[in-house]
Amino acid sequence: MAAVQETIEQVKKIDVDQYKYGFETAIESVKAPKGLDESTVRYISARKNEPEWMLEWRLAAFERWKAMVEPTWAKVSYPKIDFQDLYYYSAPKSTEGPKSLDEIDPKLLETYKKLGIPLKEQEILAGVQSSRVAVDAVFDSVSVVTTFKAELKKAGVIFCSISEALREHPELVKKYLGSVVPQSDNFYAALNAAVFSDGSFVYIPPNTRCPMELSTYFRINEKNTGQFERTLIIADKGSYVSYLEGCTAPSRDENQLHAAVVELIAHDDAEIKYSTVQNWYPGDKDGKGGIYNFVTKRGDCRGRNSKISWTQVETGSAITWKYPSCILRGDNSRGEFYSIAVSNGHQQVDSGTKMIHLGKNTSSRIISKGIAAGFSQNTYRGLVSAHRKATGARNFTACDSLLIGDKCGAHTVPYIEAKNSSAHFEHEATTSKISDDMLFYCRQRGLSEEEAVALVVNGFVRDVLQQLPMEFLAETQKLIGISLEGSVG
Amino acid sequence: MNVAIMKTKAEQALSEQFERVAAKLPGGAAVAEARREAIGKFTALGLPSRRVEEWKYTDLRNVLKEPLAVGVEDEAKLTVADLIVALGPLAHLDSVRITFVNGRHRRDLSNLDGAEGIEVASLGATLTSAQDKVGSALARTTGPENDAVLALNTAYMTDGAVVRVGDGVTLGKPLLIVNLRAGAEGRFVATRNVISVGKGASATIVEAYVGLPGSTAEGQHNAATELSAGDNAKVTHVKIAADSGKATHLSNWMVGLGAETDYRGFQLTQGTGLARNQIFATYHGEGAKLDVSGLFLGRASEHIDTTLVVDHAVPHCQSRELFKGVLDGEARGIFQGKVIVRPDAQKSDGKQMAQALMLSPDCEFSSKPELEIYADDVVCGHGSTAAELDNDLLFYLRARGIPLAEARSMLIESFAGEALDRIEHEGVREVAAEFARGWLAKLGK
Repeated sequence: MAAVQETIEQVKKIDVDQYKYGFETAIESVKAPKGLDESTVRYISARKNEPEWMLEWRLAAFERWKAMVEPTWAKVSYPKIDFQDLYYYSAPKSTEGPKSLDEIDPKLLETYKKLGIPLKEQEILAGVQSSRVAVDAVFDSVSVVTTFKAELKKAGVIFCSISEALREHPELVKKYLGSVVPQSDNFYAALNAAVFSDGSFVYIPPNTRCPMELSTYFRINEKNTGQFERTLIIADKGSYVSYLEGCTAPSRDENQLHAAVVELIAHDDAEIKYSTVQNWYPGDKDGKGGIYNFVTKRGDCRGRNSKISWTQVETGSAITWKYPSCILRGDNSRGEFYSIAVSNGHQQVDSGTKMIHLGKNTSSRIISKGIAAGFSQNTYRGLVSAHRKATGARNFTACDSLLIGDKCGAHTVPYIEAKNSSAHFEHEATTSKISDDMLFYCRQRGLSEEEAVALVVNGFVRDVLQQLPMEFLAETQKLIGISLEGSVG
Repeated sequence: MNVAIMKTKAEQALSEQFERVAAKLPGGAAVAEARREAIGKFTALGLPSRRVEEWKYTDLRNVLKEPLAVGVEDEAKLTVADLIVALGPLAHLDSVRITFVNGRHRRDLSNLDGAEGIEVASLGATLTSAQDKVGSALARTTGPENDAVLALNTAYMTDGAVVRVGDGVTLGKPLLIVNLRAGAEGRFVATRNVISVGKGASATIVEAYVGLPGSTAEGQHNAATELSAGDNAKVTHVKIAADSGKATHLSNWMVGLGAETDYRGFQLTQGTGLARNQIFATYHGEGAKLDVSGLFLGRASEHIDTTLVVDHAVPHCQSRELFKGVLDGEARGIFQGKVIVRPDAQKSDGKQMAQALMLSPDCEFSSKPELEIYADDVVCGHGSTAAELDNDLLFYLRARGIPLAEARSMLIESFAGEALDRIEHEGVREVAAEFARGWLAKLGK
């Protein structure tokens, strides 16, 4: 396994204190005043020249949010967030919209370079049919670079920032926004609905296979800025799209809040594949700093034979609170959830999925691999439910946890609700430590302890890794190696 | 939410009746004080509702609408012949017996001949005669702090069995603790058993909750059992709750295990309108083994909930759970099982399985098998399945000339049998199987 050696090298170079992506870029930015009230919502809406109905929508969400309380059921603990002590909007000043990469603030390009987004390479790669990735880079809150537009346009695919979509395709946004995650869905979704700054919008027209993998890099940059992304992906009848999302964030002392909402809609015979690699700053070795990642992700298999597949690799963030879900509304629809959650240091992960079977003959599959090391707490929390009329619902769930070290915790909290006798639900979960026998076997053959652990862990998560698009695979293997650094011995 | 929740009629009645009956409840000053404290706690908590995570699937506040009078001084005229009818298959079990009718000890219906090396007494009598220290020890529970049902038990418990099995004693016959509901009026009855099994002792204890045929089908029984097993003890602990389909059965088992103990618990629940079986097992010494299993059979609109917490507080312990349910009609089955492995409880080994067989389109099964693990050198797993009868298996049997109805019952019986096999004591296993067969025979009729 070539990746293992690479992982080890990465580990040597970096320790928990020296987060690879922990740098800060000094770019001028425009901010909304600190704090959150109705005027903040109006300010954001006005800055973005949104139509009146959008402002109404945001204000309605804000009203709901004010009446809500922060959820406390997740197995995570953190100091109370002062929502009035945050900035809710920040945009790099050069919002004029550069026409090409040359026009972009060189510092920004530098940032991307450090992040390893090969924007320039992407252009070169454009000639190569097999591996093209369109990057809609989100720098803080406003999309400043969008590539590959022309090509996508030819296919009829709309891939733009959600603010642009509001201007160019208001009818689509109006029709679908909030139809999967309503404004009042939960505390953080309501907050997001009120103050979301930007995000991606994807529409795949009927019977179209998106010609390339779509990708967005989210990045939190400005100090004390909540990042409120909103992603909306619609796959019309018979279409297919694969969407990649990767995240890194600069090192900081203060905790940062990230409350994104992702909505996916799959019509008849459509398929959406959504992959995430999340590697935000997890805090230093004492658990100080780090990102709070409170995300609502939900997909709606609205049409017959539709399919939504979530794949996630969670290695970063101080706190992760994330449950990508599928509503299997259409008959014969299918939902999938593949997850790797690695936690080290003082990270806390409470993640899982919901599979809600409503249509007939719907099926779902959940494969969750949790790896806890250091002082971290890693929880799988999931729901599988079959509605009274969901005849022939099928689910298979396997959640496995691996513990490295005796100070960490791994928890499993699945809810299984079968309200239809023809439902066929299977759930299994195991928790164990890395087998001494396996380690011994590897070491006997000359591998160091770290190499052996990396090998075993990579084997442990293989089922999920296989689901990742090629572009992410190598990066992910490295990430897992880095995340587990210092967990052995 | 900060909205003050209105008390339901049942909640009010349960709180208010306390003053009226307090003087009649057994126990000295210390016990009275514990009761008062418990009813205060209940009044503050109210009946558990969906808002309480542990009670997510069993909303007592919503289900227990009608208040029943608290049973304190019920005199029911009964003979041993009546008892034998009520016991059904249990009557054939060769056992020593202590009997409670509507929450009161009945010496005339008990038979403790041949119970050597053990002390069996009535809790009511013990509370009345014992010193404060003993009384308040009996009024304490090791169950969860904020459990409203357990608080009600402490407040209203009238009687129950106090059992002490001496060190090294091997009980020749199973001890049968019978709780019988009789009479024309439904009552709220609270009983508590306090059982201690000495070091190296071996005992089989069977709790039975049954109704006398011909008496009211209504009733609420709030039962609690505190069982502690000394080092190297071997305990088989079985509960059979078999009723006629209407009554409410709320049960709490608190089990504490010493080092190297071998504890086998089993619960059979059938014919209860609403059942909530809570089991809390904690290891206090290393090397203990536990097996808690059960079979629940639900039909019509019955609701059966099993909630169990196994706490691996010390290293080197093993736990096994297997719960199986057969659901028909609009019955609801619930299984919530939590295995906790505390920090430093290394070499813990836990396995849990919950399976439901769904026979009708309208039944429901919800399950929440939970693992909470803070130590790394452990092997823990759980599984949960819900499905209807396998058509391939049915086809196989029918292809061999077995009629559909018979094929179905063969499959159901073998499904249930797997759980029943967990009862080690042959006589008790036979009795439990007989109960289950009786229930299955009425399927589809």
